[in-house]
Amino acid sequence: MPDIPNKLRRWIREPLVQFMAIGLVLYLLFAWHGDTGPNSYRIVITQGQVDALAASFVGVWQRPPNEQELKSLVDDFVREEIATREAMRMGLDRDDVVIRRRLRQKVEFLTEDISTASPPTDAELQAYYNQHPDKFRTEPAMAFRQVFLNPSRRHGETVHDAKLLLARLSTTGASADIKTLGDPLMLPSEMPLSSRSEVARLFGNGFADEVMKLTPGRWSGPIESAYGLHVVFATERAEGRLPSLAQLRPIVEREVLSDRETHDLDAMYDQLLKRYQATMEAHDSGTAAAAQVRSMPATKTVNAPKDVD
Amino acid sequence: MNRLANSTLTSVLAVLLMATWSCNKPEQAPSTVGQAPAAPDAATRAADENVKCEGLGDFANCAVEKSTLAEYSPAVGQNFPNRVYWGDTHNHTSFSFDAGFGNPLGPEIAYRFARGEEVTSSQGLRAKLSRPLDFLVVSDHAEFIGMPDLLRANDPQLLKNETAARWAKMLHAGGEEATKAGIEAVLAIFKRNEVFKDPKVTRTIWEKVTSIATQYNDPGHFTAFNGFEWTSAPGPGNNLHRVVIFRDGAQRANQVLPFSAFDSENPEDLWKYLAGYERKTGGQILAIPHNGNLSNGMMFALADMSGNPLTRQYAENRARWEPLTEVTQTKGDSETHPYLSPDDEFANFERWDFGNMMNPVVPKQPDMLQHEYARSALKLGLKLEKQLGVNPYKFGMIGSTDTHNSLSTVDEDNFFGKMPTSEPSPERWKEVFLFKADKTPAAAAWQTQAAGLVAVWARENTREGIFDSMKRKEVYASTGPRITVRVFAGWDFNAGDLDRPDFAAEGYKRGVPMGGTLAKSAASGAAPTIMIRALRDPDGANLDRVQIIKGWLDAKAELHEKIYDVAVSGGRKIGSDGRCKTSVGSTVDIPNATYTNAIGAPLLSGWWKDPDFNPQERAFYYVRVIQIPTPRWTAYDQKRFGIKMPNYIPMTVTDRVYTSPVWYSPAQ
Repeated sequence: MPDIPNKLRRWIREPLVQFMAIGLVLYLLFAWHGDTGPNSYRIVITQGQVDALAASFVGVWQRPPNEQELKSLVDDFVREEIATREAMRMGLDRDDVVIRRRLRQKVEFLTEDISTASPPTDAELQAYYNQHPDKFRTEPAMAFRQVFLNPSRRHGETVHDAKLLLARLSTTGASADIKTLGDPLMLPSEMPLSSRSEVARLFGNGFADEVMKLTPGRWSGPIESAYGLHVVFATERAEGRLPSLAQLRPIVEREVLSDRETHDLDAMYDQLLKRYQATMEAHDSGTAAAAQVRSMPATKTVNAPKDVD
Repeated sequence: MNRLANSTLTSVLAVLLMATWSCNKPEQAPSTVGQAPAAPDAATRAADENVKCEGLGDFANCAVEKSTLAEYSPAVGQNFPNRVYWGDTHNHTSFSFDAGFGNPLGPEIAYRFARGEEVTSSQGLRAKLSRPLDFLVVSDHAEFIGMPDLLRANDPQLLKNETAARWAKMLHAGGEEATKAGIEAVLAIFKRNEVFKDPKVTRTIWEKVTSIATQYNDPGHFTAFNGFEWTSAPGPGNNLHRVVIFRDGAQRANQVLPFSAFDSENPEDLWKYLAGYERKTGGQILAIPHNGNLSNGMMFALADMSGNPLTRQYAENRARWEPLTEVTQTKGDSETHPYLSPDDEFANFERWDFGNMMNPVVPKQPDMLQHEYARSALKLGLKLEKQLGVNPYKFGMIGSTDTHNSLSTVDEDNFFGKMPTSEPSPERWKEVFLFKADKTPAAAAWQTQAAGLVAVWARENTREGIFDSMKRKEVYASTGPRITVRVFAGWDFNAGDLDRPDFAAEGYKRGVPMGGTLAKSAASGAAPTIMIRALRDPDGANLDRVQIIKGWLDAKAELHEKIYDVAVSGGRKIGSDGRCKTSVGSTVDIPNATYTNAIGAPLLSGWWKDPDFNPQERAFYYVRVIQIPTPRWTAYDQKRFGIKMPNYIPMTVTDRVYTSPVWYSPAQ
């Protein structure tokens, strides 16, 4: 961002500075505006509010509200405003789990937004890419052809049949026509270059491990899969490679931003934690309970009301 | 003072956010932030194929047309679905604000986990799938996405007025100017903060939802759908929930806001919204109902919300917008119920039939059941089709999790439960979700089913490829295992076709796949023939049997159902009544939570001809594949935590898949 000097940008991203700025603005606001918040008994519906209600209606129904509908929207708005203010006067917002959680989320959203506000610089991307090559490296891949032998059709002769088949195919080599060989199976007889996990999801993990070890250019096997035995011709192997940063750019960007979010959230809590003193009351079962507390960035409410939908 | 501070705080923060955002991203629209590297060619190709096939009805016709091209290469024209993609269409994250969920993990984590990455669960446990999913719909509740939220009102769309434009300029100038603009904006918002109420805020969050989906959507590798859940529960508490899925990217999805039950509890209004979306954007969208088992007779009722009998218009709309039903998930299985299918020994499966979702629950009455379970609804649909001319309940079947802890898990040995509180722990099975009026538990965590998944027959792992398969119902439901099953129904298949190397090509050429409708045969005396091939989960348990479930409407307008075993393992005999009464047995060692594949079969295939076909009678046929018994997640918990659960807790499970039906109608 050429418009703002680097120093200022870093300064803006500093949570402490942000909170101080907020404090200052708040102070100015109260000094200037006085009390018109939820404690007031005055509800003014401006044209802006009416427009917003109408817009929300349009957003849902794809048409403007008629007069009657608009009136009921406004009535409902007034009720909501009254209910909200009364509820807050009564303190109903204070011990409400949903509201607490929502507020927490707002605060965390705030940090997230700040974290992701400026796109990663080229240097940042390059550094992340250099530090995490394994995240971006493609898996090795193998292309192969396979002939399937179904044990339930071969009455104990499957291994024998497989060996015969292997011998026969070995003399024919790569060009063997396998369409009419072996038993039917609802899986491809010709697999294009596929990663280990691709092979595993069709043939099972054990088969995939074995296939990845094959030397291309000859018939091998039999290899056992979840379904039976396979005689396999490995046609080509491609080693895993690391695509260039240019090719991966959007993905690296996503990873950098995600990394930054986590880091900034922790940093924010670390900063704020300095202002708080959190202690655990000691009582008989206290030690046991304390031992079970898991290390999480923030506390969680445990005995919350249940909803199962 | 304190409360006053709160109210202004939100506005202030909002503007500061806005300021920072605008400073740094002056030229980018929010919907393009972090756009993923599309593989545009793949996506476009899928779209093109779709266009070419449009108007031809079933995919089979499309394949047929192409295969008539005189080409040398046999692969030319073979553009029928050639593989199964596995996914979950029903995942809730921290963006769902249901009371007490305590889930801090947002959609990013849901996608990362589904893609196979290790994540830390909401309770601090390390979690990883044994195999990644191919696609995921994050379907957070629309109602709570739209909760009033001033803080998030940092949408530049709001600033489409003179003042806003001026601020933007000041912000671009940076430095002091930017700060000044920020403060000015704060004051302005404070004066009329109403402008930033609901719709704008909902928009901000919705755009965040769609932008995260954009980031994680990786055509060809992993598909992230835009979606939300419409959470209607009239009664209150009768579950009519629907998950809404967009075929389209953020650009189209952002032109609307999620439709919530606050807008309307009536599904007919949801369909209007869906129609409005397609009209406005030219995109495509569908809705998937779930948990008929908790609807207390409302999900597949014979009347609309006002109690009027269904009309042809209603039937057309429902069939148009709801091509699928989610029949199995964590809150129980809704295929059928022992009361409805007394002759079905597999019917008593992961039942949640105590009542609705109120707390305390409103108890179930037996006559509600026929309007809740899929098999019965498919039957009622035949009757309604005869009355109305259109079948409103002509739906395909899928499974999904409905997880609320962002983690889509279905494996019995790797089940993270439904809620954050249901993640693995020695106590998790005890937790009570809902109570009866007498304060005894109605639904407890041990009843949660480790399920389910959607299997989609498609050619490409893209939004377009998967959505189009869902729309034409070439999909099936699994309660967990990745069993592959392929079904073709036609008039002239013979047993020999089953072993053909070009099984699928022939299937499409001479018949229809799951989800299709059999056109009336030209030959008199013909009966439907069905070919089925099934493979067990490559890393799972063997199969017990393959069944066809037929439902039909006779001349006296009475509904019937019948089960036929088509293939069974281990040389067991199928009787002349079409049933194999011998159980496959069990190898489950409950104390050690193990099983072996010493029983069952890894592959089963079958050919079947309807022995009792009457061309005047409407009918449907769907396939159920039953897996051998394996340890249930409760058995793994008992073993791993060294605990003993009471005897009434089930310790084994007979997982299965249900395919979408094939229909026959004399009218068509």
